[in-house]
Amino acid sequence: MAIPPETPSSPTSDRRFFSGAIGMGEIGSAHDTGVLRTFVGSCVGVALYNRRLKIACLAHIMLPESKGRSSQPGKFADTAIPEMLRQLKQLSHGQTVRWSAKMAGGAKMFAFQSGMTVGEQNILAVEQILGNLDIPLLGRCCGGTQGRRIALDVATGTMTIETMGGNPETI
Amino acid sequence: MPIRSLTSQTDLFRQAANEASDALSKWLGRPSSITINSVSIMPITKAVGLLGVTDTPLIACAMGITGPYSGLLVLTGDDASGLALADMLLGREIGTSTEWTEVEQSAAVETANIIGCAYLNAMAADPQAASHSTSQPLMPSPPWFFRDYAAAVMESLLMAQATLADNVFLTHTDFQVDDMPGKCSLLFIPEAEDIG
Repeated sequence: MAIPPETPSSPTSDRRFFSGAIGMGEIGSAHDTGVLRTFVGSCVGVALYNRRLKIACLAHIMLPESKGRSSQPGKFADTAIPEMLRQLKQLSHGQTVRWSAKMAGGAKMFAFQSGMTVGEQNILAVEQILGNLDIPLLGRCCGGTQGRRIALDVATGTMTIETMGGNPETI
Repeated sequence: MPIRSLTSQTDLFRQAANEASDALSKWLGRPSSITINSVSIMPITKAVGLLGVTDTPLIACAMGITGPYSGLLVLTGDDASGLALADMLLGREIGTSTEWTEVEQSAAVETANIIGCAYLNAMAADPQAASHSTSQPLMPSPPWFFRDYAAAVMESLLMAQATLADNVFLTHTDFQVDDMPGKCSLLFIPEAEDIG
């Protein structure tokens, strides 16, 4: 479910002051100011943004491939990124914009997991799709064994990543 | 074994939860009570917030299940409840444990083992499971402990089902023990292919 920028965080807030929490398989987008947040374990949080226009979008991607399923585009890397671009195009009123990307997550949460984990597959899929679309990946904080709390600053594209008991990382 | 009719399975899960509660009382030497919160299918986003928290730490002791019913059986709770359980088990005054050292983790894992095996024994006694053609008995793996943001823990536990559907099925039972601040929960999360 997309979180449209027309839905402010409170009835009295200006649309420029949007902030929102994005659930599993969801996409949120906003412009001007605000923070988009999500939690990821083996999922990945992918941000697309343009600092000049102060427009940003964050997706909580769960799986690499939709395999034809389209009920929830944010859930899969191959459907989420096109949907993010669609939302961003709307927010930028159809301008030709050079978007940048950042990504965090893809942890191996369970010690017993062997072979290529879902997290690793998600990371690879996102990197490949961004590469095909010629969208530069300017920062990544991926892998490991811990979940992450992600906060994306809409105005700057700065992504802050926190782990339980660790120091926050900014990319 | 496909869990084709949730209604028909509710009694089984209730019986299993009762057995688990009895085992917990004996294990801790204190009365405990249970609340069967849900045996249901729900959207994954709702399931992630099932325990009412997303950004606070959650501990989980998870056991992999194989056999006629397969999936994950997970004892989970917040720090206060989990550490209180450890204190009870270790014969300490509640509030003594303030962090998850190896001792507290071991106590939590052992508690999960006791509760989980009681739960599974009740499920194994189910005639439907007993008559299932598979020769593989209902078997748990040793529990493993982890602690992370609640949303990240729940996301990871539900991932196997989420790969196949937008909704997930799980059973959720809350346990309350005398003197414990809060509650712990037992979740049974079947493999996706077991959901008919």
